[in-house]
Amino acid sequence: MANTFTRITEYDGITEYKLDSNDLKLLLAPRRAAPVVAFMVLYRVGSRNEAVGHTGSTHLLEHMLFKGTPTYNKQNGTQIASVLQKQGGVFNADTWFDRTRYYEMLPSDKLELAFHIEADRMRNSFIADSDRQSEMTVVRNELERGENEPSNILHERLWAMAFREHPYHHPTIGWRSDVEGVPTARLKEFYDTFYHPNNATAILVGDFDEQAALELMSKYFGAIPPSPLPIPPMYTVEPPQEGEIRFTLRRAGQLGLINTGWHIPEARHPDTAALTVLDTLLSAGITSRLYQALVETQLAVDAGAQAMQFLDPGLFIVYITLRPGVPHADAERAAIEVIEKLKTEDAPEKELQKAKNMIVTQMIYLRDSPMGVTRTIAEAESVADWKMYVDLPKLVEQVTAEDIRRVVTTYFTEDNRTVGWFIPKQEEGGEVL
Amino acid sequence: MNNNSFVARAKRFQLSNGIMLLVLENHANPTVSIAGSMRAGEYFSPADKESLAGVTAGMLSKGTLKRSKLEIAEEMESAGARVGLSSNTFTVSVSGQSLSRDLPLVFSTLAEELREPAFPADELEKMRQRIIANIKEEQEDTRVRAFDRMTQLVFPEGNPFRQPPAEKLIGQIETIGVDDLREFHRKFYGAATMILAVVGDVEPEQVRALIEEKLGDWQGAPAPVIDLAETPLQAGARREIVTMKDKPNADVVIGHASRLRRSNPDYLAARIANNALGQSTLSSRLGLKVRDEMGLTYGINSGFTESGIGDGPFVINVTVAPQNIDLAIEATTEIANDYIAGGIREDELKDEQSSMIGSFKLSLATNSGMAGQIAGTELFGLGVKYLDEYPSLVSAITKSEVDEAIRKYIHPEVATTVIAGTL
Repeated sequence: MANTFTRITEYDGITEYKLDSNDLKLLLAPRRAAPVVAFMVLYRVGSRNEAVGHTGSTHLLEHMLFKGTPTYNKQNGTQIASVLQKQGGVFNADTWFDRTRYYEMLPSDKLELAFHIEADRMRNSFIADSDRQSEMTVVRNELERGENEPSNILHERLWAMAFREHPYHHPTIGWRSDVEGVPTARLKEFYDTFYHPNNATAILVGDFDEQAALELMSKYFGAIPPSPLPIPPMYTVEPPQEGEIRFTLRRAGQLGLINTGWHIPEARHPDTAALTVLDTLLSAGITSRLYQALVETQLAVDAGAQAMQFLDPGLFIVYITLRPGVPHADAERAAIEVIEKLKTEDAPEKELQKAKNMIVTQMIYLRDSPMGVTRTIAEAESVADWKMYVDLPKLVEQVTAEDIRRVVTTYFTEDNRTVGWFIPKQEEGGEVL
Repeated sequence: MNNNSFVARAKRFQLSNGIMLLVLENHANPTVSIAGSMRAGEYFSPADKESLAGVTAGMLSKGTLKRSKLEIAEEMESAGARVGLSSNTFTVSVSGQSLSRDLPLVFSTLAEELREPAFPADELEKMRQRIIANIKEEQEDTRVRAFDRMTQLVFPEGNPFRQPPAEKLIGQIETIGVDDLREFHRKFYGAATMILAVVGDVEPEQVRALIEEKLGDWQGAPAPVIDLAETPLQAGARREIVTMKDKPNADVVIGHASRLRRSNPDYLAARIANNALGQSTLSSRLGLKVRDEMGLTYGINSGFTESGIGDGPFVINVTVAPQNIDLAIEATTEIANDYIAGGIREDELKDEQSSMIGSFKLSLATNSGMAGQIAGTELFGLGVKYLDEYPSLVSAITKSEVDEAIRKYIHPEVATTVIAGTL
């Protein structure tokens, strides 16, 4: 019997197994507090694996995996969404730069259903041309909804400007004409290249018996063969940005916006913990530095920051929503001053400790929710390794004021910066700056 | 009653000043969640200052007689704890989360903010400007514009579900002064209607003693009366367009007065009636046709948007590219009419019942989910036992009850359709 698991490791209550027959990675985290389970299958494929002409394909393919298999389909009255909805399940799928994930939270006695559906659609999805045609217009409407929001367009454009060569250049939803034009055969090719057990991690969190879960996993996933060919690597590297990039977006709107991004290293890099603390120090709560410098002074109605870290180097982004009447340059200058100050003055110990407490307590709150735990393990697994979920809070505790000064000095330089302004056009011929 | 029942596990205390406290122990994690409410929502705002309740609730965290906003935030944020008050149509809701060891900090902060707000004038000015900016930003949202306009056409002047036009609201906010906040606080904030549910790593008696210490001698305002006439169904259908610039996607809102409140005896039947039609974009009738088959939309839903203390609207919402608007409305109307004519199918009813029961179980999987459910049973006078009875109440509903609810509550023939977008 080939369908046995090898126990790889156990770390902080999470056990990692490998399915011997096909190298599927399985993470089990029992949490018996409530009679529910959350199950997710994460594929290591995202918009990072796309290129010219088929941007958005990974996401469109994700939609296609709800369109059915010979077992679960509309004709049989067993459409995946209907079957899960009938159990009151919380279910969906989403796609991002580095990964695609499919998940469901169900009452714990319905665990087998989750395994059956996810194992089935890993290799048996129809990916039919007629389905692509109707689903393409659904995705196009999703894209149009995104284009309604100036903040969303500005954010997409920031990545497109900051990344010239690496595929983080294009948004996960894809360019409109690629979404409209991509042939079904190309989606099928994506499916056949990347949807294999050896390119996936299955995560199970909640109320289950470990042995029973392993047996069921083996029953449903064990017979799926590994990929016939190795999973193709993505090898494009973004070269260093040599000089500040600035751009402007003008369209109808009410409030001015500024997005500023600096290239930062990949999630596996040792500076991740310091960048995480920096993110909190700058933007969490009303005592944070950006809130105090921009919102409290009434230059902005909102200000935030996010260290967006991925498999490959990402961006640290500062977001500002201007108060009406405030010039963009004034708010931008105030935000840059906040950053520059961190290069010359150490953050006080008390402030650092507060930021660390906020990060660590957030991680503890998360443990209250099986789906919250699942998502967080999955994010760590998709950008680095699931153990980062356990390690990051510990690494955060070790961050010093000197680490903060070092990362700000290293990454937050003018030459490494991309700045985008959204300038609302309020009436024909008139602009509010 | 078994030991696992909510009735057995949830401890209910009434303090002498009227505060209803419900505590449920869950020691799985060293955390605690709080949910609750008080009758001090927008319904009580005066006609010429329609957002006064919201501004007052927001200002409670902006400084007390003892401490500044920043001092309070410093202490709470350092513990990674939060507690907040926000206004709804009829109530102000309380929500909070902390490590269980910090629960005393959370309740002393809440008590200080409720009992001794300072309402500093400079903070009020900042808050006014932020709210005005937010309103302006919301005016760029096609969904908000379509929904707000629909409520203006469906609900009469003075009804709390009627969203005031943005310009009017902004004008009113500019006139709100510190005295208005003080008066609103004095007239509506009090222990008499306060409900608090605390779920997590706690001992009920200790929580009771803590609340007794922090809020036990607080009286404040007496319970205010809510007396809202039911909004009748509209006489005929109408359609309006809200024109906006640079919007690749349009929103269509089809709505009418629902005449459904939480206290209606057929409330659960009405929920099922809606769920089969449009609760889920992926699996309800509307979604299966307009999204899955026709590919016209990313999102189509229907629902009773606020059937609680009052009777809010019944709404169908669909997002669609401007060139597909007519097609989407036509298909939506046809599906709704067909549903009303034929009623729910037996298999659909079974699926919806099982779905509601399953999703109810999932909602009880977290401390915050349980706190919300428990506080809700108290607010609507259902009793904690309702949480134990819910699955059998849902299972007992029959096809004829649902069909009657469909005919009673879903009326596309007199609905108001508002389309917002670049048309």
